[in-house]
Amino acid sequence: MAISQEEHLKELSKGYRFDWKDEARPVFEPKRGLSEQVVEEISSLKSEPDWMRKRRVKALKHFEARPMPWWGADLSGIDFDNIYYFIRSTEKQAATWEDLPDDIRGTWDKLGIPEAEKKYLGGVSAQYESEVVYHKIKGELESMGVLFTDMDSAVRDYPDLVKEHFGTLIPANDNKFAALNTAVWSGGSFIYVPPGVHVEIPLQAYFRINAENMGQFERTLIIADEGSYVHYVEGCSAPIYTSDSLHSAVVEIKAMKGARVRYTTIQNWSTNVYNLVTKRAAAYEDAVMEWVDGNIGSKVTMKYPSIYLLGEGARGEVLSVAFAGKGQHTDAGGKAIHAAPHTTSVITSKSVSKDGGRTGYRGLVRVEPDAHHARSNVRCDALILDDDSRSDTYPYIEVEDETAALGHEATVSKVGEDQLFYLMSRGLSEVEATAMIVNGFIEPITRELPMEYAVELNRLIELQMEGSVG
Amino acid sequence: MADRPTFDDAAFDALPAAPDDVRSLRKAAFEEFRSLPIPSQETEEWRYTDLSSFDLDFVAAPPRHTLTTSNQPLDGTGVLFCDLDLAAEQHPELLERRLHGLVPTGRTKFTALHGAFRTGGTFLYVPRDVRLELPLQTVTSLHDDGTAVFPHTVLVAEEGADVTLIDRFVSPDLPRAFADAIAEIYVGDGAHVRYASIQEWGSGVTHLGIQRARVGRDAEFRSLAIGFGASLARAESETVLAGPGGFSEMLGVFFADGTQHFDHRSVQDHAAQHCTSDLLYKGALRDASRAVYSGWVHVRPGAQKTDAMQTSRNIVLSEHAKADAIPNLEIEANDVRCGHAASVGPVDEETIFYLESRGIPRAEAERLIVTGFFQEVLDRVALPEVRRNAELAIQEELGVRELEETG
Repeated sequence: MAISQEEHLKELSKGYRFDWKDEARPVFEPKRGLSEQVVEEISSLKSEPDWMRKRRVKALKHFEARPMPWWGADLSGIDFDNIYYFIRSTEKQAATWEDLPDDIRGTWDKLGIPEAEKKYLGGVSAQYESEVVYHKIKGELESMGVLFTDMDSAVRDYPDLVKEHFGTLIPANDNKFAALNTAVWSGGSFIYVPPGVHVEIPLQAYFRINAENMGQFERTLIIADEGSYVHYVEGCSAPIYTSDSLHSAVVEIKAMKGARVRYTTIQNWSTNVYNLVTKRAAAYEDAVMEWVDGNIGSKVTMKYPSIYLLGEGARGEVLSVAFAGKGQHTDAGGKAIHAAPHTTSVITSKSVSKDGGRTGYRGLVRVEPDAHHARSNVRCDALILDDDSRSDTYPYIEVEDETAALGHEATVSKVGEDQLFYLMSRGLSEVEATAMIVNGFIEPITRELPMEYAVELNRLIELQMEGSVG
Repeated sequence: MADRPTFDDAAFDALPAAPDDVRSLRKAAFEEFRSLPIPSQETEEWRYTDLSSFDLDFVAAPPRHTLTTSNQPLDGTGVLFCDLDLAAEQHPELLERRLHGLVPTGRTKFTALHGAFRTGGTFLYVPRDVRLELPLQTVTSLHDDGTAVFPHTVLVAEEGADVTLIDRFVSPDLPRAFADAIAEIYVGDGAHVRYASIQEWGSGVTHLGIQRARVGRDAEFRSLAIGFGASLARAESETVLAGPGGFSEMLGVFFADGTQHFDHRSVQDHAAQHCTSDLLYKGALRDASRAVYSGWVHVRPGAQKTDAMQTSRNIVLSEHAKADAIPNLEIEANDVRCGHAASVGPVDEETIFYLESRGIPRAEAERLIVTGFFQEVLDRVALPEVRRNAELAIQEELGVRELEETG
């Protein structure tokens, strides 16, 4: 029995509250499909230096030459010829929300970004389609020498820093989607924190896809110089369409000696977005790198934030929470590569699948020869809420040094009958009780989030639970 | 013509006569062998073992199997315990669809080679409700440089039967030899089967073994894999829980030294509900040895009330030893309890410190700790003889080192 397109849309949008569309009024006529010409055009529209243009063209060759990944999620639904690779929505970046066109500004108001900025953010970057349309950093951070701009401006304004670090952790030929990103990247954040500077309030970027069949390819580079600290938070959403969009970001982070970087993601794409992201960080001597990675939305997510522990005493942590409902496949995880002595890593993954959704943990912990006294612990727990849903765990442990101590543990279970019974006997409905148990289950992750995001994540989970029983 | 022996037409034509069924199976397998590539490290299954330059210039050796019954009289019980070719001739109805029924010849180039060139093997058939108290044993031996053997065990336990089989593989150290082994185990409804495979090939032997069991309703299968020998050993151990209420225990014990390469793979396939499976592999590594454990727990849709556990523990004793563990879960039912745990690490320094502070020298402390490490598995082995031999083998591995260090 075929369902009508309208029913299909209705089904997709169940419980998703970011499903509004602005009337598209791009300032540059977008084209579907990918070619060298498209890549050259993006570069020329941005008036880029020659080295970046050449890099893009070379990356396109890598992208074309590489096969699609044979492992992980089903990506056969991606039609590369039907995607818009670049959409320019405003003539120039705004420094106040009032300067934005009304409909775009309306979107940010509905998402609550301007309000959040006032309350608890040190800087905000708002990307709409391909480019950052609003950008602002608090004056005091600027005066301490903190750089926080969109990536396009960084190429123009800080060419030496960008040239030194861009693509060094994730080269264009790293994987097919990193190659695609390098060829057509646009937007994303550039952050540099000078030695010893602690950015006490989070910097935030918000990514919004508005157009159907949009491809968003932001590129982020964060450099935390010696002894500095920064917390970067990203969020995202998109309206729901009948055909799919693609989000393929590349994020590179360097935590220099003694620095600490925390990168928090609350991914809430609509369920027709393919989210294929490469995220990698290098942690030097005594540095700390933390990925807090929440995946609630998208049709397909493949994302495994990695940490290369390159200096003695470096520490890495990945906290991953994944949720997959109807039609969703979230293949998340984390990687820790121990390449120096006395390095430690902790990976904690919590996943919940329901209504036929599929979650997966895919991870790697690797200890290189001579990275002596490495310590790592991986803990994965999965909850499966009904018998149409699925959970997979694919952990790889590779050890080439005998002093390394590594552990991995995982459990998969359903919500305990006795827990449910207890809560329901206290007057909670089954839905409320289940939501409460699930929230408790992911609590090790939410307690690491800034309060506002923890509340948001819990609310999202509750929203996803509605209508799940009966 | 070429001096080097190989598995060519001439070698195939020189195989001894066999019944029609076996002949046609051989022929099809030979075709598969010629068309299949050597498995590539590009595939997930062979990621950690590189056989790309492995020459198959061996001569198929005549099989040498020694069957013993612990002096149990089998006459009148209906139990058949005999050479596989003899069984194919005299009881084709019992072997039909069972020989290569669980491990098809087309699975890899090596199973195809096995199907084409195997002669001999062990057949064990236990009729309905027949219970054998003492273990049966088959010893496969390999003696000559440049030879290949294809050990094959087919074990059939009919409904309610109860049997124990020990499958041993022994050889002296050889410059170069090849063992390509398959065991197919059919555990009927309500049957109890214990199966121990003890791999004690000498150095120089490349061992590729696949063991696959199909466990029926309310049946119980306990397997133990002990691996000390061979230069390269890849051992795949698979259990399919095909009927409700089935139980599977899979234990593994290995000790790698020198430049030994072990690739252990396991599958716990829950295809029916209310089944339990429990896997525990423990291994020690020293010198420049390498061990990989990768396991799959697969809970199929509808296999509710599954209880599956998978544990891999590795203790690394030398600087140049390498251990990898990949314990995978694929769960497609929700009312389940599944878990896995894996660890790789050195002997715990705190424990050593404790023992040293009690006046025990470091080498002795290490020996005690490693012995204790293996005891957790060996305590679960119900076969006293097998357990004692494994304990002795572990002590030998540990003792030799001590002598080397003090001498």
